[in-house]
Amino acid sequence: MKATAQIDARSDAALSQAIDGLWERFLPEIRERVTVLEAATKAVAGRKLAGKQRDAAQAAAHKLAGVLGSFGLTRGTVLARELELTFARESSPGPDASAKLSAIAAELRAMIESRKPSA
Amino acid sequence: MARKILIIDDEDDIREVAALSLESVAGWDVIKASSGAQGLARAAEFQPDAILLDVMMPGMDGPTTFRELRKNPATAKIPVLLLTAKVQGTDQRRFADLGVEAVLFKPFDPMTLSSQIANALGWK
Repeated sequence: MKATAQIDARSDAALSQAIDGLWERFLPEIRERVTVLEAATKAVAGRKLAGKQRDAAQAAAHKLAGVLGSFGLTRGTVLARELELTFARESSPGPDASAKLSAIAAELRAMIESRKPSA
Repeated sequence: MARKILIIDDEDDIREVAALSLESVAGWDVIKASSGAQGLARAAEFQPDAILLDVMMPGMDGPTTFRELRKNPATAKIPVLLLTAKVQGTDQRRFADLGVEAVLFKPFDPMTLSSQIANALGWK
């Protein structure tokens, strides 16, 4: 029983290490998605959010929401989902929403840049 | 003999995390496809024990891919589990109504993805 638990712990650690490796590999794409969101939130502030940019922001947020939790960033998924729902609404977010959207994008950026290896 | 799973997802990061999870936690053999069209071909060629199918993909999306799998006698009986990041209830009901074995949600926990699949399919 004890030996089994040790083997399980070792395999969990190996999986965590491998997940960390994937994080490093895909970090450029993940960063790029956050950049898309930051640009969209800036456009909201300037009342310049066009349909194409909003679609791109929605897609970027959707992808982040789907993956961040698998890398241990559960709150990242919550934040990305909030942005996804905001950009998915029929009416574009108004400038009054820009401060909140910018804060969410900034938190996402900080979270991604500070993710620590899980193993 | 190890189970054989086909993962169809256009997002490289999700596909790789899922593959890693199923290979290292469950010891299953994983086949990967990055589009619905590629998934149809690989399903017919490799005859996997189950297919994990992303919903939102450019070109042929998950529901369309599922219907195509069912139309082909070579793939019609392979169990399919949809994988989605959609959280709205209407979407979930729509996906469940397609006739797939189960709907799983992103983000998944890499430690437990294989047990979710095994439970949904009644595998021991």
